[in-house]
Amino acid sequence: MREDTVIKTESLSIGYDHELIKDISLRLTPGCIMSLIGPNGSGKSTLLKTLTGQLKKKGGVVYLKAEDMDACKGTDIAKLMSMVDTSRNIPELMSCREIVEMGRYPYTGMLGILSEEDRVAVKNALEMTDTADIADRPFSAVSDGQRQRIMLARAICQDPEILILDEPTSYLDIRFKLQILDIIRRLSEEKQVAVLMSLHELEQAMRISHQVVAIGKNGVERIGTPREVFEESFIRSLYGIEGMDMTLTGAVPWFEDVKAKKTPINKARGVIMIQGTMSAAGKSLIAAGLCRVFARAGYKVMPFKSQNMALNSFVTREGLEMGRAQAMQAECCMREPLVCMNPVLLKPTDDKGSQVIVNGRVIGNMRAVEYFRYKTQLIPEIKKAFDKCREMSDIVVIEGAGSPVEINLKKNDIVNMGLAEMTGAAVLLVGDIDRGGVFAQLIGTLDLLTTEERERVGGLIVNKFRGDIKLFEDGVKILEERSGKKVIGVVPFTDVNLEDEDSLSGRFDKQQKKDFDIAVIRLAHISNFTDFDVFEQSEDISVRYVTEPSQLGKPDILMIPGTKNTIADLRRLKEQGFDEAICAYAASGGVVIGICGGYQILGRKISDPDSSECGGEEEGLGLLPVDTVMSAEKTRTQFEGSITGAQGILKDLCGKEIRGYEIHMGVSVLSDSLNGEVKEFTSAATGYCTGNVYGTYVHGVFDAGDIAAALTECVAAAHGKSVDTASITDYRSFKETQYEKLADVLEESLDMQAIYEMMGITRVSS
Amino acid sequence: MIFIILLVLLSALVVINIATGTVSLKPSEIISILSGGSDDSPYYTILYNIRLPRIAAAIVLGGALALSGYLLQTFFDNPIVGPFVLGVSSGAKLCVALIMIFFLSKGISLGSVAMIIAAFVGALTVMCFVLLISFKAKNMSILVVCGIMIGYICSAVTDLLVTFADDSNIVNLHNWSMGSLSGINWTQVLQMSVITFACLIVAFLLSKPMGAYRLGEAYARNMGVNITFLRIMLILSASMLAACVVAFAGPISFVGIAVPHLMRLSFKTSEPKVMVPASFIGGSVVTLLCDCLARNIFAPTEVSISSVTAVLLVPVVISMLLKRRKNSVKNA
Repeated sequence: MREDTVIKTESLSIGYDHELIKDISLRLTPGCIMSLIGPNGSGKSTLLKTLTGQLKKKGGVVYLKAEDMDACKGTDIAKLMSMVDTSRNIPELMSCREIVEMGRYPYTGMLGILSEEDRVAVKNALEMTDTADIADRPFSAVSDGQRQRIMLARAICQDPEILILDEPTSYLDIRFKLQILDIIRRLSEEKQVAVLMSLHELEQAMRISHQVVAIGKNGVERIGTPREVFEESFIRSLYGIEGMDMTLTGAVPWFEDVKAKKTPINKARGVIMIQGTMSAAGKSLIAAGLCRVFARAGYKVMPFKSQNMALNSFVTREGLEMGRAQAMQAECCMREPLVCMNPVLLKPTDDKGSQVIVNGRVIGNMRAVEYFRYKTQLIPEIKKAFDKCREMSDIVVIEGAGSPVEINLKKNDIVNMGLAEMTGAAVLLVGDIDRGGVFAQLIGTLDLLTTEERERVGGLIVNKFRGDIKLFEDGVKILEERSGKKVIGVVPFTDVNLEDEDSLSGRFDKQQKKDFDIAVIRLAHISNFTDFDVFEQSEDISVRYVTEPSQLGKPDILMIPGTKNTIADLRRLKEQGFDEAICAYAASGGVVIGICGGYQILGRKISDPDSSECGGEEEGLGLLPVDTVMSAEKTRTQFEGSITGAQGILKDLCGKEIRGYEIHMGVSVLSDSLNGEVKEFTSAATGYCTGNVYGTYVHGVFDAGDIAAALTECVAAAHGKSVDTASITDYRSFKETQYEKLADVLEESLDMQAIYEMMGITRVSS
Repeated sequence: MIFIILLVLLSALVVINIATGTVSLKPSEIISILSGGSDDSPYYTILYNIRLPRIAAAIVLGGALALSGYLLQTFFDNPIVGPFVLGVSSGAKLCVALIMIFFLSKGISLGSVAMIIAAFVGALTVMCFVLLISFKAKNMSILVVCGIMIGYICSAVTDLLVTFADDSNIVNLHNWSMGSLSGINWTQVLQMSVITFACLIVAFLLSKPMGAYRLGEAYARNMGVNITFLRIMLILSASMLAACVVAFAGPISFVGIAVPHLMRLSFKTSEPKVMVPASFIGGSVVTLLCDCLARNIFAPTEVSISSVTAVLLVPVVISMLLKRRKNSVKNA
């Protein structure tokens, strides 16, 4: 089929006395067979009569080969368009040949005398319709089927570029039906004649048409390929046969394997969403990697996650709290983290409730049930945040949450498919092959999605593949066949040391003690524990998260991390006997560092008069003379300062610059300077120390510069060990290497071209 | 081949018509007059001024009637329409009645020219009405009905006028409305020939679109026929032919209806290129025959030609209608 148009209608409206159908826009190209289907009285014949000029159109324009038909001369139209209609007018005393010869009318002269060329055309037409043998019989003396073929021969003889047929096969038996349709098909294929016909025989329309126009009580209801139109629910509603038993008809007039297609899904350009079959399938890292890939390619990228549930948060420059994963992804995008990247953050306080943070500010604590009902109110905020991200970027990489088919929770979804629909995102579904069952994960997830949601999924990613990827080629084929979706890539298991989203961290399981051992107390409500990741860069250092005093051993450094609920955790420590263990450790000269909540625990007294966390008061470990009062206000700032008065083993750290952030509900005040033994640890009174016990509110205190290395060396020297600290770099530059590594892996294992196409971005591959 | 038969018939009838009549002419006399001798012979006047013009008129008007009938039958796709279906003759009659009853009776003398003109005027007025209606009519049957209706109105008005007329005028009108070829002179023959042959040529030139029209209006339009133009030309030419006949000879019935059927059956085709000349010649033959009979059956009394045509042709029409196969099923 060529592209030039033979006939085109624009806003055509038709009807007899009143307007029957309005706004019809059709287009036929050479060789295209277009069928009109629809119930009796819907207007098919009316449309055809209007196009052939028998009926005056009510409005709109019909273009015949780019010319307005109204402006064309009758003979010119006759040379382009011919027809066979439903009238059974049988002229007397005319032979079949004479009828066919009539087709040459527009080509013959004044008296209608046939030239040699005309005779050849007549002969060809007779041959094509297999009627040469009856040509000389009277028209009134042949059968209906033969008559119809003669009329078709006449139409063919007119040498048209478009043939209009009104129910060409009605009243004919199956043999003639097949013959007529065969002739039509040959005309379309051999002579590139466009054919527009109305048919009642749907089975035949299904098989012969290139395009189908369905006309029902609402005018033109659908235009498309047979597969798009001949779908059960549509055909049933078109003809009003919903619920009717089809066994009498035999073959059903629709394609059995075509499912109903509703309104096309909303698709935005440059928005891609990474959803996973489960938590920790690798969404965050893949999203981060893609952020870096796009950023490297020169696009302006923004990450986005509508609602994050995490313990690790980040404080932006504006002093607003957002999820750490998005902050990391922002770094991958090579830009400053902004709270619009993560408008809703939930920090669990216990199994049933969380602290709800919207646009970086705490709006309260809610129980899960409460929040489930509340979250629809957050939709405008999420939309606003997303729009802001969109404005500022070419591409937005959205991270989903959990699985998109938690069916019992799917109502009012704002994190997965609900969000995808809102933002018009194309979706990549990530499955984790390392945990097994990747086929079940991916195909099962796709199966549980609705048809529209399924349509949104542009491709599948198999993540955390160990081994030779070539061994999985069969697997890819199986996935593609059974799911009908493309496998965008198989990503190998990559060990990147990047910040975790939540407690499902593998970190907690590492129990191997290395030469230099750092023990971190795993508090029940541990949060913002990314402070210690920097030490993991060294091969010689182990960072263990201990849950019981027996696991403590004899670490080189004991760290107490931040917590969402200081008083509760403190009580728990006492129950477990950790308080004694820690004090004993400190007394023996061990290095104890408490950060944020840990710092508060090292103090003397903690009180929560406003019940910001859990209320009440508690005696701290008493290793630092500091009293803490929990306030209703949360302090969130980024911090730049230095280590002022370190003593003890870490004495040499004095003067070193630090960069981090503070997030805490409490205010701690030095109650007793213990005659100068207590010194300020970190500047601006954010922390104090005495002896080998150090406490500070500043998160990320070890990240910048060479603090971590220097600290390790100090402690190692004091304990007579030697540690290779060369690999401990400035955490920021370390992270950069990790981002690049991740981006490289993704670029190699994923079909980036397909991803760009999914987003609607045409990219010239370099 | 049939054409030859027709032409032979025509010639034979011409000869018969020349020879027969109230006054019989011997063949030898005919030849000598025709070859230019004895101008002062009494038979000269009979031959040249009475019989020959009459024969010529029969040929011309007979052809005109049949052609008009053929055009209208094709156009309306209706086998029983004739030249006067569109009310042409009724209009003419009305006009003639007006002339006769009002002017002549008041002593104002108007020659036959006036009658001719009156008939023409009446016929053409009705034709204009019909043309106007044809622009608006969505399909053909409306046109036929309108024509018939107009005919009825004209007849009704004529009957009304008759009530005010003298007996003599009534008789005159009655005689006029029977139709007759007598009293036609060469000038009139010239006039009617001009009109008739002009329409004949037009009809022949319309044979291509008329041929397409046989498939139905939808197909004709699809093949590029300008339907409106065709309609107008057909009505014009058919009406002119009919008006011509009515003006010069009064309404002569049945010829227009029967002859096209006869020709169609003889030639076994409906192709206009054949039918147009065939109808014309056929009409001439039939009219000559009927006129011969009209003059000679009850000589010296001349029977009205319409009676002859009716008696002769009605059986023909009936048998044809019975034979006609009912196989044109028209779909909406």
